[in-house]
Amino acid sequence: MSLLEIRDLTIQYKTRKSVVEAVNGINLKIDEGKTLGLVGETGAGKTTTALGILGLVPNPPGVIAGGEIYFEGKDLLKAKDSEIRKIRGNKISMIFQDPMTALNPVIRVGDQIAEVIALHSGCSKSEASAKSIEMLELVGIRAERSTEYPHQFSGGMKQRVVIAMALACQPKLLIADEPTTALDVTIQAQVLEMMNDLKVRLNTSMLLITHDLGIVAETCDDVAIMYAGQIVEYGTLAHIFDNPMHPYTIGLFGSIPSLDKDVDRLTPIPGLMPDPANLPKGCNFCERCTRKCDRCAESEPEYLEVEPGHFVRCSNLNGGAENV
Amino acid sequence: MSEILRVEHLKKFFDVPAGTLHAVDDVSFTIQEGQTLGVVGESGCGKSTLGRTVLKLIEPTSGKIFFEGRDITDISKHENRELRKKMQIIFQDPFSSLNPRFCVSDLIADPLKTFGMYGKKELEERVLEIMDLVGLSRRYAYSYPHELDGGRRQRIGIGRALALDPEFIVCDEPVSALDVSIQAQILNLLQDLQDKRKLTYIFVTHDLSVVKHISTDIMVMYIGVMVEKCPAKELFARPLHPYTKGLLSAIPVPNIHHEQKRVQLQGELSSPIDPAEECRFVKRCPYATDICRCKQPTYEEVTPGHFVSCHNVREINGL
Repeated sequence: MSLLEIRDLTIQYKTRKSVVEAVNGINLKIDEGKTLGLVGETGAGKTTTALGILGLVPNPPGVIAGGEIYFEGKDLLKAKDSEIRKIRGNKISMIFQDPMTALNPVIRVGDQIAEVIALHSGCSKSEASAKSIEMLELVGIRAERSTEYPHQFSGGMKQRVVIAMALACQPKLLIADEPTTALDVTIQAQVLEMMNDLKVRLNTSMLLITHDLGIVAETCDDVAIMYAGQIVEYGTLAHIFDNPMHPYTIGLFGSIPSLDKDVDRLTPIPGLMPDPANLPKGCNFCERCTRKCDRCAESEPEYLEVEPGHFVRCSNLNGGAENV
Repeated sequence: MSEILRVEHLKKFFDVPAGTLHAVDDVSFTIQEGQTLGVVGESGCGKSTLGRTVLKLIEPTSGKIFFEGRDITDISKHENRELRKKMQIIFQDPFSSLNPRFCVSDLIADPLKTFGMYGKKELEERVLEIMDLVGLSRRYAYSYPHELDGGRRQRIGIGRALALDPEFIVCDEPVSALDVSIQAQILNLLQDLQDKRKLTYIFVTHDLSVVKHISTDIMVMYIGVMVEKCPAKELFARPLHPYTKGLLSAIPVPNIHHEQKRVQLQGELSSPIDPAEECRFVKRCPYATDICRCKQPTYEEVTPGHFVSCHNVREINGL
């Protein structure tokens, strides 16, 4: 059994006026030591999925309407709060998107890391603070900086602190939500290399949430493309990058200006993502799709395995293949 | 093709409590009509300040700016105002650069009203024309910014910049806040407008793949100074400055068969406040020698059309 297995997870935000269907029956699997990239646009439900795994979906208005999340064979959705609290930050931890707001501005960074360690390992305060310094050094921050406050660090350094905190208890699973979006490219390259290096050394599995396909190509083993709360395509790195099948995935690749080739005009995906409070009846991507047929607007496409390990949610794959 | 903008030894310093912040330090360049100059660099390198100083939104500390052959460095307020009809800016954040209490047609009419160019009836017509031009459906004329998504909001920003029919536009990270699929729509729009109206752009961004796509020439900035400038293709094919090499190789490429030879840059940007008399890049440079630590390199044409400021550029690249 995989380290993490998500089956049919559905998360909704319910308000008096509407029901926002943020995550609609997704299936995911992460094996030990592997990295899964979760790719999608703003509002696709990536972060909600991550919060769902950690049991952090704000309730109200968020409700987990169905599904199972198995971590080491145990269903997290059925676990008691006290059990989840033991897992969160310990066996599963998260790197949040914005290092500027993820740290407490009035607590020294060393103490913030020591807090996590003391809470989960039950060791003494001095042991925890020694360990926190070790963690800072692991991510390339000098020991004497552990008594400084977050505002004394630059963006890249703050993100390192957040990473040190997430790795402090040697988690089995690390959820990284756009860990480098707020950073400059040269700093991003440093942070990504460090994360890859630590992942190998600690044998951590990772769920990497991003919208940057370049980062996915460099760090992931498997990729899930998410659109309007559903996974529209899932496969290994080679499946997605060499043989993308879903029109949305193909559209994403066409939208990125290439560094290798000279393209005069980009081929963007026309239109916008549908309102998650008012999803269409058939395929969610139908309105923007270049190869839709009558069936697409009528019924929801099935999630098909087109080759071993490569899943696509599209009713018109054959029609598409002829067009390509 | 004629020269539309010439900037000579432009400097912009800010006085801050810790000293003098050298945001733009001795930058010179020219742009030909109808071309796009891409300005890239990491956050805090002075690229936005450069864009705004060129437009005279900020007064330069020293240096000269010529627009269509005329020196606009020390013109009067009145003349400056007239200049706005020809020079415009598109801002980075379509969420904070639009007045939330104005509807779309008010927002686009705003620059036109400022100059009192049209009567009421004509104004309405003109606003709708501009909405068509930037691909905003007319039914949004009375919507407010909060009702629209980022892509449409950025189209309003572009519409506002185009309202006065300018010749020159500074685009300050116009697509950074947008998703890739929307980003591609906006980039295509900017290119179409350039073709249609012979616009000249300065395109400020930190996204190197975007800048390669849209620019004719690219200028790389590092802590207020220009480190390299050349035609876009040349920069990506043959980067000469060690910083550019590091920057280019740091971009994650969305292709799994791409072999990455990474020149990893260590450390971070040093402070732009009262910088020492040395090469700004010396602390991160893998090729630094003694001369780099005691003298700022001059900006010179190393190969035809390719400007670099580095003491050791010839040794590093075997030229």
